[in-house]
Amino acid sequence: MRNDIDDNMDRDGDGRGGKAGRAPTRRKALSSEVLAKVDYKSPQVLKSFVTDRGKMIPRRISGASAGQQRIIITAVRRARMLALLPFSVSGE
Amino acid sequence: MARLQSLRDKPGTAREYETIYILRPNTPNEGVAEVNARIKSVIEGQGGKIIKVDNWGKRRLAYEVAKERKGIYLYWQYLGTAGVVEETERNLRMLDSVIRFLTVKVDTDVDVGARPVEIDETSFEKAATTAADEEDMFLHRGGDEPAGDDDDDFDFPNLDAVEGSKE
Repeated sequence: MRNDIDDNMDRDGDGRGGKAGRAPTRRKALSSEVLAKVDYKSPQVLKSFVTDRGKMIPRRISGASAGQQRIIITAVRRARMLALLPFSVSGE
Repeated sequence: MARLQSLRDKPGTAREYETIYILRPNTPNEGVAEVNARIKSVIEGQGGKIIKVDNWGKRRLAYEVAKERKGIYLYWQYLGTAGVVEETERNLRMLDSVIRFLTVKVDTDVDVGARPVEIDETSFEKAATTAADEEDMFLHRGGDEPAGDDDDDFDFPNLDAVEGSKE
């Protein structure tokens, strides 16, 4: 297999995966206060989960858990339907 | 057409729904009231109970919908059994001033009697009044000004008269 070495991800032995030499980054959890405000009717809150271009911010960056991300994406999709959030923003 | 209550629901309970619809920005207050009256009669005709009606005012749309850049948002909250949404959305689809709508199921097995109602006689009146946005205010101020009182008013028919009075 071509990726034999890369498949063995945990090379620094910290049990986290990832390349050796890079400090293991602790995931910053999303506060439940913010999540309680997530609602398809409040585009201001949802804006913090999309980029300027209107794309979803991945949970590896936002720190959301899988369940939280699901709540967020549902809200974003509904808000997009109602033209409260853009599907995409095309810039120059 | 009233349908049989779904077997998933506890008997004697209702579901809670939210419907938001967007009207064309040039819809006058009477037009908004007309749509609202129709939706109200549809929901109540299907045995639904309206909890809240709100007019969010004229908002800028994030993208163009039906060639409009702005829209009047109406927010409804109501209780009903299966079939209310179907009939409500069928009616919204028929109305030309409605450019977009979305219904969300908020809760199931709601005790109809226990749910406080947030509407009174004035709610529907208020929901029919769209607050003017900045653009409207700007346009109206220009239009309401009596013509000819200002020298830089572009009032072509009175141009001679204005010039004559200056001399």
